[in-house]
Amino acid sequence: MVPLSWYLIVAAALFCLGLYGVLARRNSVAILMGIELMLNAVNLNLVAFWRYLEPARMSGQVFAVMVFAVAAAEAAVGLALIISLYRLKRTVVADEADLLRG
Amino acid sequence: MDFINSHLLSLILFTPTVAAAVVMLLPGAQPKLLRWVALLASLVPLALSLVAWMRFDMFAGGFQFEELAGWYTSIGSNYHLGVDGLSLPMVLLTTLLTPLCILAAFSIQERVRVFLALFLLLETGMLGVFLSLDLLLFFVFWEVGLVPMYFLINQWGSKNRDYASLKFLIYTMGGSLGLLLAIQMLRMVVGTFDLPVLYERWPTLDQSLFGLPIGTVKTIAFWAFTIAFAIKVPVWPFHTWLPDAHTEAPTAGSMILAGVLLKLGAYGFLRLVLPLYPAQAQAFAWVLALLAVAAIVFGAFAAWGQTDFKRLVAYSSVNHMGFVVLGIAAAAWARGTASAADAVIAMNGAVLQMFNHGLSAAGMFFLVGVLYERTHTRELDDYGGLFPLAPIYGGILIFTSMGSLGLPGLGGFVSEFLVVRGSWPIFPVFTAIAMLGLLLTGAYVLKAIQKVLHGPVNARWKETALEIAPREVVAIAPLMVLMLVIGLWPAWLLNVINAAVSRLFG
Amino acid sequence: MPLEPLLWLIPLPPLVAFFVILLFTRSHRRLSHTLAIGLLAVSWLLAMIVFAGAVRTGGLAEHPIQSSIPWFPTGSTVFSIGTLIDPLGAVTLFFVAWTLLAIFVYSVGYHNFGQPRGEHDTPGLPPHGARSMDASGHGHSVPSVEPLYSRFFAFISLFAFGMLLLVVSDNLLTLFVGWEIMGLCSYLLIGFWYGKDSAKRAAVKAFLTTRVGDVFMLLGLATLYAQTGTLSYRTLFSHEVLARLVETPSYIPGLSMAALAGLLLFMGTVGKSAQWPLHVWLPDAMEGPTPVSALIHAATMVSAGVYLIVRCFPLLTAGLVHGSSFTLSLIAFIGAFSAMFAATIALAQNDIKRVLAYSTISQLGYMVAAVGIGAYVAAAFHLLTHAFFKALLFLGSGSVIHGVEHGVFHTGDHQVDAQDMFNMGGLRRRMPITFATFLIGGLALSGFPLITAGFWSKDEILADAFGHGHLVVFITLALSALLTAFYTARQITLTFLGEPRSEAARHAHESVWTMTAPLVLLSVFAIAAGWVGIPEHFPGLGGVVPNWFHEFVGSTLGEAPEAVAFSAVPLLTSIGVALTGLGLGWLVYRRVPAGAPDPLARALGPVHTLLKNKYYFDELYDVILVRPLRWFGETFVYQWMDRGLIDGILHGIGRLAGALGSFFRRAIDLPIINGFGDLVGESTKRAGRSLRVLQTGRVQQYLLIGLVNVVVVGALLFYLSALRP
Repeated sequence: MVPLSWYLIVAAALFCLGLYGVLARRNSVAILMGIELMLNAVNLNLVAFWRYLEPARMSGQVFAVMVFAVAAAEAAVGLALIISLYRLKRTVVADEADLLRG
Repeated sequence: MDFINSHLLSLILFTPTVAAAVVMLLPGAQPKLLRWVALLASLVPLALSLVAWMRFDMFAGGFQFEELAGWYTSIGSNYHLGVDGLSLPMVLLTTLLTPLCILAAFSIQERVRVFLALFLLLETGMLGVFLSLDLLLFFVFWEVGLVPMYFLINQWGSKNRDYASLKFLIYTMGGSLGLLLAIQMLRMVVGTFDLPVLYERWPTLDQSLFGLPIGTVKTIAFWAFTIAFAIKVPVWPFHTWLPDAHTEAPTAGSMILAGVLLKLGAYGFLRLVLPLYPAQAQAFAWVLALLAVAAIVFGAFAAWGQTDFKRLVAYSSVNHMGFVVLGIAAAAWARGTASAADAVIAMNGAVLQMFNHGLSAAGMFFLVGVLYERTHTRELDDYGGLFPLAPIYGGILIFTSMGSLGLPGLGGFVSEFLVVRGSWPIFPVFTAIAMLGLLLTGAYVLKAIQKVLHGPVNARWKETALEIAPREVVAIAPLMVLMLVIGLWPAWLLNVINAAVSRLFG
Repeated sequence: MPLEPLLWLIPLPPLVAFFVILLFTRSHRRLSHTLAIGLLAVSWLLAMIVFAGAVRTGGLAEHPIQSSIPWFPTGSTVFSIGTLIDPLGAVTLFFVAWTLLAIFVYSVGYHNFGQPRGEHDTPGLPPHGARSMDASGHGHSVPSVEPLYSRFFAFISLFAFGMLLLVVSDNLLTLFVGWEIMGLCSYLLIGFWYGKDSAKRAAVKAFLTTRVGDVFMLLGLATLYAQTGTLSYRTLFSHEVLARLVETPSYIPGLSMAALAGLLLFMGTVGKSAQWPLHVWLPDAMEGPTPVSALIHAATMVSAGVYLIVRCFPLLTAGLVHGSSFTLSLIAFIGAFSAMFAATIALAQNDIKRVLAYSTISQLGYMVAAVGIGAYVAAAFHLLTHAFFKALLFLGSGSVIHGVEHGVFHTGDHQVDAQDMFNMGGLRRRMPITFATFLIGGLALSGFPLITAGFWSKDEILADAFGHGHLVVFITLALSALLTAFYTARQITLTFLGEPRSEAARHAHESVWTMTAPLVLLSVFAIAAGWVGIPEHFPGLGGVVPNWFHEFVGSTLGEAPEAVAFSAVPLLTSIGVALTGLGLGWLVYRRVPAGAPDPLARALGPVHTLLKNKYYFDELYDVILVRPLRWFGETFVYQWMDRGLIDGILHGIGRLAGALGSFFRRAIDLPIINGFGDLVGESTKRAGRSLRVLQTGRVQQYLLIGLVNVVVVGALLFYLSALRP
């Protein structure tokens, strides 16, 4: 059986991939996609821990499902925001949306 | 019916409040509806007080239609209402004048809703003072009346209204400060705010208080009461708020101010000062009489010296209310002495004078307002020869002026004669000096008539429609009729007053 | 028929007329005057019934016609008002009713009823006349009807109500009510042409001057009421009450309550009957229409003053010590002085009505003096005759003025003063009825012997003064009688005799019947009224007609005063002064050409100027009373005391409170409390400002910062946990 650590390494790599996308990409849609990657990395962790440590309890799976739902909602809201940003400023570049600059 | 019977006074007292709330809920964009609702609502207390007048038994002593309920029980204050022969005429005067004032205020165009609501609230405040038999309740209503009046002057007044309204408010508040303290002290010593109880226990109280002899404490409390009421009456030299407030207030405000608010002060003397401090009142009656005579004479002189029509009428109030205070002072001095009969007559005159002045002063202010609305000036020199332009107005003005002057055959004469008759044997010198004021009353009234109506026609107003409108005739007609009725047949009113006064001061 | 209820009804019809005319019939002239005269006629009829009943009642003095009802309660007692007719009241009622009726009818003609409205007439000014076309198409200037015609009748109706009320009342309070209502009416009527400045001033002057007296009178009423608990004559003037009043000392040392009350009431008379020093209003009151002058000056209002002191005679004489008292002496002095004083002024007046006005003051002075010397019956007698002949004279003068005004309209020369006697002359031919009646009135006024009423009443006063030994009064009154006859002759001569001195007078015209009929009626009384009081012992005539008046009115007090023993001195004096005065007046004035000065002016020089200016009393009062009082009111009381002192103190308190407040604000609030609060706020703000650079608005930078933080904190935690043993 594949040891737990392998899953964790894949998840960590995925997370880092996502983090890089969030921090480095200029396109807002790409940032959103990075976030999705990070969420999925977390899901992978959750499912892996459940299977290896506490297979009798359902909580790990439930957490994963919750994260899916949140991710879907987040994607919907995020895309809507991006569209309105685009309507307002004719851009989807995150750096150019600095209305809140102090 | 039962409810009406047992809560007659509460109904009289709070119908205006309810009406004020109703008026506030109505659409503000329909002034016509608002006016009529307010007018009709203000007729309800009038009808109810007429019912009270009919059912009132003048031969029974004490208070009638009493209502008693717990209020601030923890500090010993109750919701205690009741009327006797002194307060009933005042209640009638208030409920009579309010609809007439509202009718007079039909010409107000801005913020009609708030104006009418404030006016109805004011009625509750004034009625509360006349009706309450509990010192704290008395004080609360005393102050309640102040607030609407302040806003009426401040919001709907003329040019100098900020100054006038502030002066009015501060002056009255300043007076009621001492009153509040003295009321608290009475409560502390006797243990209740209830007037009938206080009547029995406070004057006869004989123990030292706060390390001072009781006489000193009572004297201090007496002056606290007296000054509060003297400001309201007003007695010279506390009178200077009056010309300003009267002159700047809107017509309906001046009417109610002169007609009823001034009476609150005099009523305070009758209801509180004389029964609670008989000894002090007797000792200081001469001071009061002196100030009253000063008010009569100086008020008349100042009225004579005016060039502003409304201010002239305002000073005439100082002059006329001086007679009320003179009568009260005479009664305070002579009560319980050999000349108690004179005291009763003087007091009858004073109370009747309160009623009569309510009629004539309200009428005069109304007529000044009628003229002001059409000409937008109050300067006597701007008028002149208006009689041919407004013959009906002129006739009404002469009639009302004569009522104010105390022409025999109209109400003012009976009351002034009774005051003079009552105080002449008691304070001969003061009364003789007051006669000078009576003479000058003629001078300033005629000055006003002469400057407004007589003389060559002022060309400036030839094109202006000056004649009084039918609505305005309706507003003043009841006052004129009452002046005449009291002048010809004063007994219907004097019987009630006399019965109460005889019991209290005989 | 019982007379008591009728008494209550007598004053009411004119009151009804007043209200009905004012409220409903203002625009219908005919209806208005019909109402006024018709309802007054009802009063007149009632008055005559009562008078006839009263005369026939035996012992009227002891059992007068009276009834009363409670008016208002005073303590445990009740104040009653009522009506009463005793002999004095009956006589007064008689002459008041007749003169009122005559004056009412006269007013119809006087105010040009039936004439067209003038195009330029405005309410409040006398009518200026109208142009009318006659049948042949010629334009004429004719008098125009009074614009406020109906209102005039309303006012005089109210006036009649006041006077009738005064006469029928049984107590001093309702007397005072009527008294003051007349005061109001006189104000309204003198100021009837209120558009004229002079009329407006005269009205105010009349009201205020009489009010001076009224105020004292009110105190007098208060005194009597306070001392006795009643104001009704019957109780007040009973012996017990009077005795008590005399014994009670008053507030003024040395004066009994009776004397004090008497003096105070007499002040009312001085004001109302225009006695010196309150006489100034009466001549100015001539600004009113002529019927008003007659109403006020002859028949009614001024008579009320004398009526009052005759009424109160028992009070005035109470406490009489050795036949004299301070009050009575004062009354006699003021009366005699006024009689003389006013007669001298009348000599120098040119206005036909003003002469009569001063003559009224003088004649009232006669009556007052008569009361002062104790001859109250004579005073009442003169009151009666004077009412008739003076009303006659006033109405006659109105007729003259009207006639001359007619001439003025005819000639179109409006510069001519229609009231100036020097513009008249020769009117006897143009106005025969007016002349005849005016002559009768004038002769009565001057006391033309035997045939005129004035002779008998004046003679009685003189006889009383002489008989009771008041020589000073007697001489003063005799002298003023001489002056009276002189100025009457001057008036008649200047007006009616000789030749016309102006075109207007040449074209004068006799007045309409509504004006002349009252003149004729009054002239009958001006002669016949004297016959009821011819003294018993008068040579020749005495006893032919019984001295009814003396017995009837004299019985008012219960004990008829005995008639003075006859003496030839006063009789000859009064005949002598009357004839001398009349003769002299005629001689001096019979040939005054147009434009010539008054012959008397040459003879008297500066004295004439003094008289012409009425001894400068108006100017004097203006300087010593009116101006100082006005200054006191306007400047001292209002500006200095109220605005300056009292408001100054208030504003001072206000400013002090304001200053205290701003001190607290500057010294404590601003530096300490506000300083601390501001410090907190400011430092927060500064910190925020320096930290704002962190807020780039770029999401990715925030995330990066977050990541760095996580890494750092994570490392820290790891390090720390590694440190833990």
